[in-house]
Amino acid sequence: MDGSSDAAVVARVVHGDVEAFGELVARYRDRYFRYAMHMLGNREDAEEALQDAFTRAYRSLSRCDDPERFGAWLFRILVNRCRTSGARRGRRLKTFVSDDMALMDASEEHPAERRAWREEIDRALARLRPEQREAFVLKYVEDLGYDEMSVVTGVGVSALKMRVMRACDRLREMLSEVHSV
Amino acid sequence: MSDDKLFEDGVIERIAGELRDAERPSAGFDARVMASVRGIARARQREHRERRRLWNRVSQPRTITVRPWSVGLAAAALLLCASLAGWGAHAFARMESAAPAAASGGSQRVQFVLVAPNAKKVAVAGDFNGWDAQHPAYQAVHRGGGVWSVTARVPVGHHRYSFVVDDSLWVADPTAPRVVDDDFGTTNSAIVVEPEIR
Repeated sequence: MDGSSDAAVVARVVHGDVEAFGELVARYRDRYFRYAMHMLGNREDAEEALQDAFTRAYRSLSRCDDPERFGAWLFRILVNRCRTSGARRGRRLKTFVSDDMALMDASEEHPAERRAWREEIDRALARLRPEQREAFVLKYVEDLGYDEMSVVTGVGVSALKMRVMRACDRLREMLSEVHSV
Repeated sequence: MSDDKLFEDGVIERIAGELRDAERPSAGFDARVMASVRGIARARQREHRERRRLWNRVSQPRTITVRPWSVGLAAAALLLCASLAGWGAHAFARMESAAPAAASGGSQRVQFVLVAPNAKKVAVAGDFNGWDAQHPAYQAVHRGGGVWSVTARVPVGHHRYSFVVDDSLWVADPTAPRVVDDDFGTTNSAIVVEPEIR
């Protein structure tokens, strides 16, 4: 990867250098994959969503108004893609969630190890309402400010604060039950 | 409870810390994305070719080739016109007309000229240099009076190119045939570099 700005790489792609798009993929794939993983809960769906976000970005690259902020633009596409995918997945996994709750109860009987703690976090995250999970991950994992979150999600700042607050309350409640933290 | 207090209570901090651990997609991820992107690019090229074929059927077909003497004259005339009319910027490319260097490895020396009085840097990017605006052989030199030029070898054949001003502004050559040929409907310039006629 070279040190070219996003705008310079985008210009090369738009003017015919298809392979330059690989530089943008290398720049953003890891960070955005983490977000997709947290939102969708498994690697397969996360990779599919991220790949789709990249190809949508490529198709629409000439409409990227501020190529210097290509990363933020791509992230908005991914957030929307995860919402769509998450909604489909939510319908598909209703049964799984109730089984998961049983598993969570069972885990109380075992000593907590770090891996188990992480799994419990993932389960708790998966049990949040999608909009609360999205707000929590953007705020505390991706470390965005509320103004940035508002741009990415199209949701007002006060509503986002409420979602984060409720997500935190739910997570503390679920994880305190299980782990006595 | 405020967000900060939620974070300070330790539980949320521990959760966030765990979730910030790096996650990476599987090894073949980049290749899959690029395969998909190349597929889109090929499909668009096919669409463009089809559109051009249709257009050629309904319009007067015309072949445009670049010959040293004609392009040289046209370039000189255009430069003169631009100077008189006070155009902000215009550009052209021509093959060397005066004692052209012998073609080597199927290439010709081509002079690219851009009139851009306010530019700080001018380069040429095209399919012949991987669209690399930083390529050292294609950096134009300011010749005075806002005229920038660079002479570089270009392989024989059909090519697309554009001027890149100040690393950010892509300028098609107004004096060269234009092609809406990339994947995004943007316009580049076209040049046909012919083998040297002996």
